[in-house]
Amino acid sequence: MSGQTSPIFGNLNWNVTPYTDLLRDVNSSTIVGAGAASVLVLGAIAGVAFLTYMRWWGPLYRNWLTSPDAKKIGVMYIVLALVMLARGIIEGFVIRAHQATALGTLTAQESGLVAPDHFAQLFSTHGTIMIFFVAMPLLIGLINFVLPQQLGARDMAFPVLNQVSLGLTAAGAALVMVSLLIGKFGTGGWTMYPPYTGKIFSPGEGVDYWLWAILISGMGSTLTGMNFAVTIFKERAPGMHMMRMPLFCWTSLCVAIMLIYAMPALTVSSLMLVLDRYADFHFFTNASGGNMMNYANIFWMFGHPEVYILILPAFGVFSEISSTFSGKRLYGYTSLVIASMSIAVISFTVWLHHFFTMGQSAGVNIAFGIATMIIGIPTGVKIYDWMATMWRGRVRITAPIVYLTGFFLLFVIGGLSGIILANPSIDYQVHNSTFLVAHFHNVIIPGVLYGMLAGIHYWFPKAFGFRLCETWGRRTALLFVGGFIFTFMPLYVLGLMGMPRRSPTFQNPDYMPWMYIAAVGAVLMLCALASLFWTFWTSYRNRLSLAVPGGDPWNGSTLEWSSPAPVPEWSFPRIPQVTARDDWGEAKRAGDPWKAPERYCDIEMPANTAHGLLIAAAATGLGFAMVWHIWWLAILSFLAIPGLIALRGLRVIEPKIITAAEVEEADQRFRQQVASLAPATRADEETERNRGVPDISEFAG
Amino acid sequence: MTKPNTGELDPQDNAASEVRSYAIGFIVSLLLTVGAFAAVLADLPSTWAIICICIAALLQIITHLRNFLHLSFSGGQSREDLLLVLFSVSLLAIMAGGTWYIMSDLGGRMHDGGEAGHAAHAMPDR
Ligand code: HEM
Ligand SMILES: [Cu+2]
Repeated sequence: MSGQTSPIFGNLNWNVTPYTDLLRDVNSSTIVGAGAASVLVLGAIAGVAFLTYMRWWGPLYRNWLTSPDAKKIGVMYIVLALVMLARGIIEGFVIRAHQATALGTLTAQESGLVAPDHFAQLFSTHGTIMIFFVAMPLLIGLINFVLPQQLGARDMAFPVLNQVSLGLTAAGAALVMVSLLIGKFGTGGWTMYPPYTGKIFSPGEGVDYWLWAILISGMGSTLTGMNFAVTIFKERAPGMHMMRMPLFCWTSLCVAIMLIYAMPALTVSSLMLVLDRYADFHFFTNASGGNMMNYANIFWMFGHPEVYILILPAFGVFSEISSTFSGKRLYGYTSLVIASMSIAVISFTVWLHHFFTMGQSAGVNIAFGIATMIIGIPTGVKIYDWMATMWRGRVRITAPIVYLTGFFLLFVIGGLSGIILANPSIDYQVHNSTFLVAHFHNVIIPGVLYGMLAGIHYWFPKAFGFRLCETWGRRTALLFVGGFIFTFMPLYVLGLMGMPRRSPTFQNPDYMPWMYIAAVGAVLMLCALASLFWTFWTSYRNRLSLAVPGGDPWNGSTLEWSSPAPVPEWSFPRIPQVTARDDWGEAKRAGDPWKAPERYCDIEMPANTAHGLLIAAAATGLGFAMVWHIWWLAILSFLAIPGLIALRGLRVIEPKIITAAEVEEADQRFRQQVASLAPATRADEETERNRGVPDISEFAG
Repeated sequence: MTKPNTGELDPQDNAASEVRSYAIGFIVSLLLTVGAFAAVLADLPSTWAIICICIAALLQIITHLRNFLHLSFSGGQSREDLLLVLFSVSLLAIMAGGTWYIMSDLGGRMHDGGEAGHAAHAMPDR
């Protein structure tokens, strides 16, 4: 931040990259920083070169980036999330590697792989990325892909808005990525509490990167929530009453409601901090009547519902897979619906448990402590429901079931440690220690991450037409389970020994054995990540033997399994007439489920448009310009957004028509193929005989 | 899908009344906004100014819901709309009431809630 702000380049100059740090002083910290920036640059160059070499720019633009198809948007969300997951896990590993070498002595207090400031950036980006750019895109992507198909809808209610939401999320992710190369990221953790993140204590660009990434992507998530809610209320197939919806749709509805009501709180707290930092407001300073405690208050009004936004889709996935892979009906459908809805509502009443120690009186703490413990009840109900679903079923141990088992074992431990923390007097002892870090990873990894990976494994064939390799899928799941146990169980112990979270260094040698175990766990997590990508790669190479053109590889019972795999862009040749809960299963019980519709008609699909892409570009420009105080660019990009919207509003936009003949042709081909394929029994599910046409005589659930 | 999802108006039926509703909403919002600014600029005692702004804000919300978002308690969707409003109001009440509860408790436990004693901490020690 030296010197004047240039009117053209703002605060940018040649001294903001990690390479200048490296030139100034060569040590392990600057090498790690420059290395990360190089990976980013080389990765980007390699990506561009690869796309050019394969001549994929055109197809990428035409078939993906400009597509308003919710299924493709969902896949793009998930790809974004997986890229960010790679960075997040690697950062988690670097944090663990640092702490395993961070034992200081009384004379040399600081030690370890990276410098304290660098360490603070690491946990801040790690937390921000994992929550906002891994977990959120994973679940939003999965819902986008699955929800319309399960509801029997053609698409989301607002397909182009959907594109814009994806664009805004990607813009936020891009800002976080760019901060690796240009400038620094904030050091205030993923919550960025003021006053530390105010202008006085954090003058640089770091906090601003976080603020703009959060503001932009948060806006996208709010819009997504509205889109989901309207889709569920308005786009259900005829006959699909609310109480016939698959459970994943119910949890999506809860997520939608929570996104709508919780995300604005984050936008507000971030905007207030922006005003503090850019316009000398005093919302969160001690001077001039501000109150920094209100930041924690508003932030967690978003933050707590957010953790249930993250977990509920995973609960939806587990409901689907526990029933499918044990060949039984979901046990306690109504209780699961009620439990999900109660969680959604109660989650708005517990936010204070994130700042029990801020200084309010005991009565306030008790009120919120009790509310927090109550929310454990509906969650417990769900666990029993899933276990009852699997009880006496013929459970096939596929990769999703391995994840589910890991979830059962580990999530319950995480939930119990949460109930412990809900007790304010205990929280006073362990708050801000690694006990807390262990707790939230213990619910987030077995809950969100396992759930989403299980969901990806489960619905992958629907998107791409071939199954993922089960052997490697199971190996990945087991590695994630083992990696989790080794990385995070030691943190419970360390927390009880008194180690604070976010510590760049410590002087207690008793910590070391646990640190080493956790570091081994982090290596396992890296292996799990590699194994995950290997699963995709090896399955892609064996895609012919894994192909499931029949479209129903798991003998499922919800509507999405009635279509071919990969699913055509129109999903259903005719919008189905729903007569029962689990309509596809009902059709199987009644005999021949693959009946062609009597009549085909033209299908209207939203036309491709670059609208979302342009808005994303403008939003990225706006964020970057605001971070670096490049005012002309900020004004220009800010005006571009309403301009683009107005421009689209002024144009008459014709939908894309898919003619009845074309639909009929494709659909007939699919029906003939199904008839010609030999049905596979469940015992054959993992073999080459599984062509996506299950033996319906085996269908009981 | 039989209906296009481009949101076109039915030109015969209700385009005129739609446009009127939007126009009214726009003018009312404008007036309320100007009113809020006027309340600040005028020499009102600050409590009154705050009350004025709050009322203007609430009216503004209602105008937006009615005229722009087509919320209404009569007509085909009145039941859904009523439920939606009740649900939103209860969540907002939880958030606003909870904030009031927490922040007033915190304020009460600080020395005098004043700022004089804290000014010294506003600058970093380093
Ligand atoms: C997969 C391997 C992972 C590893 C090795 C890992 C490791 C870590 C470590 C070492 C910390 C810092 C602890 C401290 O401050 O003392 C941390 C913080 C955090 N992690 Fe992870 N983590 C992993 C996955 C995840 C996932 C999947 C999520 C969420 C989706 C997540 C969310 C967070 C958050 C929110 C923080 C707090 C950041 C802050 O202090 O502001 N992590 N993680
Ligand atoms: Cu919470």
